[in-house]
Amino acid sequence: MAAVPLAICFFGCKKMLDRRPLTATLEDLNQGKIEAQSLGLYSALRNNAGFSLLPWIDFHSIRDDDAEKGSSATDGNEVTAEFETFNYSKDDWAPNTYWNDHYAMINLANNELYLADSLKVTDAASLRNIGEARFFRAYSYFNLVRTYGDVPLLTQKIVNPADGIKAKSPAADIYAQIDADLTIASQNLPLDASSYGKGYTGRVTQGAANALWAQTYLFRQNWAKVIGLCNAVVASGKYSLSPKFVDIWKDGLSGAGKNGPESIFEMQAYDGASAATNSAVEYGSDFGTSQQVRQGGASVNWNLGWGWNTPTQNLVDAWDNSDPRKAATILYSGQDDGGAATGGYGAVLPAFGTLDRKYWNKKLYIGNDPAMRAFTGYINSSGAARWINHRIIRYADIILMLAEAYNETGDGANAAKNLELIRNRASGGLGATRTILPVIPYTTQAAMRTAIKNERRWEFAMEGVRFFDLVRWGDAVATLGGLGYTNRCRFYPIPQKAIDLSGGVLKQNPEWP
Amino acid sequence: MKLTTALLLFTCFQVSAKVFSQTRITLKLQATELKKVLSLIERKSSYRFLYNDETVKAGTRVDVDASNEPVTDVLDKLFVGRSLSYKILENDLVVITGKDIEVQETRVTGKIVSSLGEVLQGVSVKVKGSTLGTQTDAGGNFALTVPDNAVLVISYIGYTTQEIAVSGRTSINVSLVASTQKMDEVVVIGYGTANKRDLTGSIVKISGKEVADKPNTNPVASLQAKVAGLSVVNNGTPGAAPDIRIRGTVSIGNVHPLYVVDGIFNDNIDYINPNDIESIEVLKDPSSLAIFGVKGATGVIAITTKKARVGQTIINFSTTYGIKKLVDKIKLASGEDFKTLFAEERANNGITTPYDYTGLTANTNWIDAVTRTGHFSNNTLSISGSTDKNRFNLGVGYIMDQGIIRHEEQGKLLISFSDEFRVSKAIRLGVNLNASRTKAPYDATGVLDQARKVVPLVSAGTQRFKVRNPYGSDTIDANIYSGLNVDLQNSGVVNPLVQLENEYNKVKNFENRSVGSVFAEINFLKNFSFKATWYADMSTVNKRQYTPLYYAYNPVNNTPYLQSQSTKVSENDDSYKKFQQDYILNWKKSFGDHNLTATAGFTTYYFGYFGRSGSSRPNATGQPIPDDQRFWYINNYFSDLSSATGSSNQNEYFTVSELARVLYNYKNKYYLNGSFRDDASSRLPIHNQHQQFWAVGAAWDITRENFMNNQHIFDFLKLKGSIGVLGNQTASQLDGTPINYPAYPLLATGNAATVPFGTDLHTAASQIYIENPDLKWETVSAKEVGVELSAFNNRLHFEANYFNKTTNNLLTYVSRAAIGLKDELINGGSIRNWGEEFSATWSQNLSKDLSLNLGGNITFLNNKVLSLSKDLPTGVLSRNFQNNGAAESRTQPGMPIGYFYGFVEQGIFQSYADILKSPVQSSLGAYQPGDIKYKDVNGDGKITSDDRTMIGNPTPKFMYGGSVSATFKGLTLGIDIGGVYGNQIFRNWGALESPFQRTNYAADKINRWHGPGTSNWVPILNQADRINFLGSTYSIEDGSYVRIRNVQLSYNFGQRLISGAKIKNLRVFINVQNLKTWKHNSGYTPEFGGDATAFGYDNAGGAIPMISTAGLNVTF
Repeated sequence: MAAVPLAICFFGCKKMLDRRPLTATLEDLNQGKIEAQSLGLYSALRNNAGFSLLPWIDFHSIRDDDAEKGSSATDGNEVTAEFETFNYSKDDWAPNTYWNDHYAMINLANNELYLADSLKVTDAASLRNIGEARFFRAYSYFNLVRTYGDVPLLTQKIVNPADGIKAKSPAADIYAQIDADLTIASQNLPLDASSYGKGYTGRVTQGAANALWAQTYLFRQNWAKVIGLCNAVVASGKYSLSPKFVDIWKDGLSGAGKNGPESIFEMQAYDGASAATNSAVEYGSDFGTSQQVRQGGASVNWNLGWGWNTPTQNLVDAWDNSDPRKAATILYSGQDDGGAATGGYGAVLPAFGTLDRKYWNKKLYIGNDPAMRAFTGYINSSGAARWINHRIIRYADIILMLAEAYNETGDGANAAKNLELIRNRASGGLGATRTILPVIPYTTQAAMRTAIKNERRWEFAMEGVRFFDLVRWGDAVATLGGLGYTNRCRFYPIPQKAIDLSGGVLKQNPEWP
Repeated sequence: MKLTTALLLFTCFQVSAKVFSQTRITLKLQATELKKVLSLIERKSSYRFLYNDETVKAGTRVDVDASNEPVTDVLDKLFVGRSLSYKILENDLVVITGKDIEVQETRVTGKIVSSLGEVLQGVSVKVKGSTLGTQTDAGGNFALTVPDNAVLVISYIGYTTQEIAVSGRTSINVSLVASTQKMDEVVVIGYGTANKRDLTGSIVKISGKEVADKPNTNPVASLQAKVAGLSVVNNGTPGAAPDIRIRGTVSIGNVHPLYVVDGIFNDNIDYINPNDIESIEVLKDPSSLAIFGVKGATGVIAITTKKARVGQTIINFSTTYGIKKLVDKIKLASGEDFKTLFAEERANNGITTPYDYTGLTANTNWIDAVTRTGHFSNNTLSISGSTDKNRFNLGVGYIMDQGIIRHEEQGKLLISFSDEFRVSKAIRLGVNLNASRTKAPYDATGVLDQARKVVPLVSAGTQRFKVRNPYGSDTIDANIYSGLNVDLQNSGVVNPLVQLENEYNKVKNFENRSVGSVFAEINFLKNFSFKATWYADMSTVNKRQYTPLYYAYNPVNNTPYLQSQSTKVSENDDSYKKFQQDYILNWKKSFGDHNLTATAGFTTYYFGYFGRSGSSRPNATGQPIPDDQRFWYINNYFSDLSSATGSSNQNEYFTVSELARVLYNYKNKYYLNGSFRDDASSRLPIHNQHQQFWAVGAAWDITRENFMNNQHIFDFLKLKGSIGVLGNQTASQLDGTPINYPAYPLLATGNAATVPFGTDLHTAASQIYIENPDLKWETVSAKEVGVELSAFNNRLHFEANYFNKTTNNLLTYVSRAAIGLKDELINGGSIRNWGEEFSATWSQNLSKDLSLNLGGNITFLNNKVLSLSKDLPTGVLSRNFQNNGAAESRTQPGMPIGYFYGFVEQGIFQSYADILKSPVQSSLGAYQPGDIKYKDVNGDGKITSDDRTMIGNPTPKFMYGGSVSATFKGLTLGIDIGGVYGNQIFRNWGALESPFQRTNYAADKINRWHGPGTSNWVPILNQADRINFLGSTYSIEDGSYVRIRNVQLSYNFGQRLISGAKIKNLRVFINVQNLKTWKHNSGYTPEFGGDATAFGYDNAGGAIPMISTAGLNVTF
């Protein structure tokens, strides 16, 4: 009698025990799995806080003299110490996240490249995917090498976790890897996102690879390479300066304002109808939310976001009011938002005191279109602006990199010409006879250098460019010294957790014992 | 005349045909003691002798020379010339008396009840030293013809055996005293039952009565402090499962025991009515647990539900009603205190202008505002009956259980049915069904924490406003709750009443569950039996929730605003399917002195979960969904279905197992138990699916040895020991989130997998974790040695055990984020749990009417992490809570599991001079006088993160329980106490709040530092001084406590009073649970559970009420 169940098992148990998950695993995806993993890179770009949220803002923006943490005094108080007064922390959420998320992106890229390699793919689509993985890996390493200097170099899929524990590689080796990656990326990526098929606006292109590559050479002061790559981007004919400066920041219904003519690389966010209460159409990011006016003591319809990354008094004082970009960059408590001409919507902000800050980052406010708020349901107490794309590289940077590189190589004429492109656009296209933002002719290399530095400051204010600019220009101590910056602050200490995890293989940045 | 007899424990294989059967014996002895001769005759014949030691004096030596002679002749010869005579009664019982004493046969009748006055059916009544006996009927009555000088031995499972001399009486009524430790009781073991005497392990049996009349929806909650080695950490939410661990924390994953209800494996017993429980067995040692394979390592709680007994039809009704009160509240600042403290905090930040409290004029005790007196009731009716062929038991009950938070209420309808049919002498069939329908309480778990955060100046009442009808365009009068002053409090602080009062009745959440089994059992070839059982456990949880529109008002300008601005309905359907089949073959045989029971079996288990959820809402311009239950469905006409959402989640697994067990003893003196199980699991990688578990145990009943014959202290003394390897099937992330397919990394779905480009959406693939092809379940190498004894005429029962368990191959979900890797589930590391358990009971009848029961148990626990996976090079598994992870539990080699890690507070910096002469702690942040001075633990002259150390251990050093019960006639008073000693609690509130969260001050802030010498423990009020918000001993509190767990007074009405009303038994009782707790911490309670690696956190919730109930139990 006992034989009955045993017989059942003999024939049936293998089937009982061989149970695959009731949902897909990677093995269930067909040839598209390289593609699906490639898309995972974009998902990480949007979802990993180290690329698009507070940690990114902390490292890239508020460390400079023109942006500060913002919000209420007590909110994220530790960040003030860590990033504004340069008491860098070895173990805190923001710095740990920044590090971890960049390596997470690198491993995603490594895994995808390993897969592509093992399948020996040669089809055009897969080659584009390889280009994307190379691009994101280079982008991550560029952030890491600027932020930490020497860092561990991981380029292989990690099968045994111990293989992921590595000592630091010199910055030069990191840059060499970046060059190798961007060489391939530049070759493999399409000129235009439409090559990916329909519905891929904003997916990375050869232009993005070349622009990023140019930025990396800018940091290495390899002016010839900067000029070559920037000119390649210009020559591609795919990009142009947006005629109106404020249009760059618009982000409205049906995607209006996203991926504009000036967009080279953007973190893509999406919110559908009633996204505030419907997670099924909510694929946004708090990059936009985090930089909106914070409610403070105001009424709930000013509960737009978290109020981080706000302009400093220093920026307001230093910036000539005649520059129209100032009114498009700084939003003033207690004042009219400036109306459509400066990217506003006709609202009047509550006074400082009721609001926690005098000034707010208007570039993100411009993207917070009230029509989009109504559409998504992010109104009153559920205030947020999660649909806003993060403009990471825009064409204006290509032009100003060209200006800077030409100037450094002694080509004053081309430097002035490119500078003028930006100033003229900033004026609203008033032409050579304008009185505001007048044309700056080339006189000396030093004067032109100063003009370009200023132009970068105004053009990219609040966009997270200036801190690294100050460092590479050697101006950081002079400009930020009053805030507590010393030379060692150009590099952040490596997170203690990473050092602990390595069991001593990874050594702390010696300037931060 | 008092009779004592020799121990007559020899087994007789002869069956006497009839009285005066001329059994013949051959016996040749010289100068042998008469007693010895009698005993040899007993061994060789069916006769049993009953005599008085005075009659048959020691030292009387006789010669015997009989060759195939009738026993009566032998006796006649023996007694020649001695003043002895004998009389042979029924059943070959021979009474030996003096020559001149006449033995009379007497018809004795009587009634047997428990010390609580309950009628006891099936009690064994035997004449001591004979096989003569009977059982009580359903009315507790017996009748038996015995010699008038006989001694009756009255025994019943779960009660202390009593011996009563008949002394010529014809009516004997007995009250039996309950015993929790009895050596001869039958206990549930895996896949069967066994006499406890035959086992080598530690199984504690608790009578269902212990849980039946306690006001806990979950029966396991009633076991707190009752069983050595069993830790029960309760919480106050109706129906919520307690945190239960048996003999320590054996894993960093699953630590909760396996429940086995009438044979079916389960992870909870929510569907069982406490009144339907016959008994609960707690299985703790390797010898008992190996048979459960991969589910055995965390211990087993086996529940047996009530079945009908032989006898007539019985109807039982019981009812309990009670109230719950919150007794230990946390202490917070009052409105005036808040103003004083807040003004001081502002001044500390350089703001001297007075705060504008416009609109904030109340002085609300927010804890009182959200709590209430809750009610509890349990009404159960059961009917059982039996015939020769069929027995059935039927029960129906309803439990209503309110929490102490407003509107928290659980309702539970439970039915049970069992039937057993005897087809023939050899074949039995049976069916068993438990079904329940549970209305889940509104989820108010966060309310207490929300309440303590609100400043008392906010009103808890409503104000009447004229507002636009949010569902229309007319104007209505509405009673509206206050919002908060958003300038003072916004981030993460809300008036909990706004949502609670507006939404508590907008959810319908029901679980329907049926657990059933059928079995067929056949006995064959004399010694074999085979039983096949098929089980199914099916449940569905349906939850429908509606979000209404409602207002709150702004207290500053006294204007209402629409707090909830859009309607929404959501529906969840979760179904669980569990199937089990057991095929068990038993073989029982004795070979001379060798007794053997062997079991072999095959069993499979299937678990499947299938969940679907969806929601819908009207479009932005559409009419809101009306506030009517008719529309609480996704498709309700008002919803915009184009934006409706739907998703599903499902997983399943299968295990296939073979098992074997042998219970062996030699002369009932030396015992050996062995068990083995092979488990194959579909959740493990294909080539790795089988794992084996085993145990062997041995025991020695010393009282059976001859050298123990002359002692009168021990009635029973057993030494035992067992060793084995048990399994723990666990796979979870470090925070306890289960990983359903550890062998197959799943892909991220939803938001994380969706990639927009412009307004187009695409799906990305990224694995959530890394696959580990070598994965296997955790194993626990367990050992136990112990002693069990009964002494002083079974008044004392005592058990002591030492256990030592080492868990190996801990399933660790390692994070490698710092090298950018996904997490991975790996095997590595081990934990040891060891300790001692002692339990004792003393039962005594002080007089005819007064009996006393005392009991106590104590368990000493030790836990040490021996190693962790080498893939965690830091050697630390860290769990972090509160802002920036300041509250930290660490699991680390050499340390107890989940110990609290942080700084040691040495006091408060009183002045700048104090700062200057102390070690520098600036690496932790800026600091000033009034801030916490941390201890330089490593003595390097500066305070850094390296000065963190162990600041607490959430595992008690020991836990204990005790009980006293006294019965006088029908009245019984019982008191249970329980407690733990030597653990710490991590208080998360009033210390580690987020820097941007303004909460009401905990009362200890009234004694804060506000100038030199004002405090050396509570720091300055200043949210900006983040240095005071690091995890430190400032947040650690003593977790030791003693609690009066239950006080119960009950009365059983005597037969004279109730028999006229055709009532067989009537009992009334009052009970108070958690009457008083002596504790040292500032939370609502000292009990805080958690998961394996993070427990003992006080998050300003978990209040455990005092529950006073009264009840009645009547049997017809």
